[in-house]
Amino acid sequence: MGKTRTEQCEMDMTPMIDVVFQLIIFFVVTLKMTSDINQDILLEDGKHGVTITEENRPPSTLEIELDRFGIITIHNARLSQDMLNTILRNRVNKMGNQFPVLIRADYRAKHEQVKMVMDICTQRGIWKLSFVAIQEHKAEKK
Amino acid sequence: MAYKRKQNRGETPKLDMTPMIDVVFQLLIFFVVTLKQEDILSKLSAARPAPDKDADPTKQPDPTTIIVCPQGFLFNGMPLRIDVLDSKLERVARTSKTAMVLIKCTGDSPHKFLIQALDSCNKHGLLNLSILSI
Repeated sequence: MGKTRTEQCEMDMTPMIDVVFQLIIFFVVTLKMTSDINQDILLEDGKHGVTITEENRPPSTLEIELDRFGIITIHNARLSQDMLNTILRNRVNKMGNQFPVLIRADYRAKHEQVKMVMDICTQRGIWKLSFVAIQEHKAEKK
Repeated sequence: MAYKRKQNRGETPKLDMTPMIDVVFQLLIFFVVTLKQEDILSKLSAARPAPDKDADPTKQPDPTTIIVCPQGFLFNGMPLRIDVLDSKLERVARTSKTAMVLIKCTGDSPHKFLIQALDSCNKHGLLNLSILSI
């Protein structure tokens, strides 16, 4: 009598374990432990711009970050103007001046600081620049 | 013989799944909690007029000029708010989408205003944009 009861209660765990593993693998893959963008930069809204997706952001894209004090960083590594100039020169020598340049500037930055970055780009023959803005807020506000 | 082996395998003691499920759930909860959603970003493209081709913007018959200053925007010499500028740009776009829009920025204007002006141009399909620093 008791034996049949325990046998009835047994549940097949296999599908649940499968699903849970799938979920874990999804989260592991999408997890970003360290952010390679400057977190201090706050962007202005730009709802009508072209959405930045994986497709229209080729790996050759150079994203220059500029915070509100006019400090230039790339992938959160601080650069001086000369260093940015050198990086751009090496890049232009290697792959021409057709790679996309994104300027991720804080909305509180002054135009003269943005101009400084734009001038360095134009010195190296890059005339077409794009500015990064927020199309849709998803992240929780700080 | 083969039948016997099958029966033996069926009787092997079951593995206790409970600790594994516990750990796996802990991991799952950890990843769910640490997941961060990111903002969807957009890009606003503009060109800078090349200094050697400086004649280009003037070659255009009367480019639409927006001046960005610390207080806001100037359009045809008139100070405007962003929503008024937006309606002015809509009118420009109605006549010609390919018309060049020249955005002149003063050095002490915040970057925010430039983005707003660019966004407004993008909204109305004006894509021939030039940024000039003054």
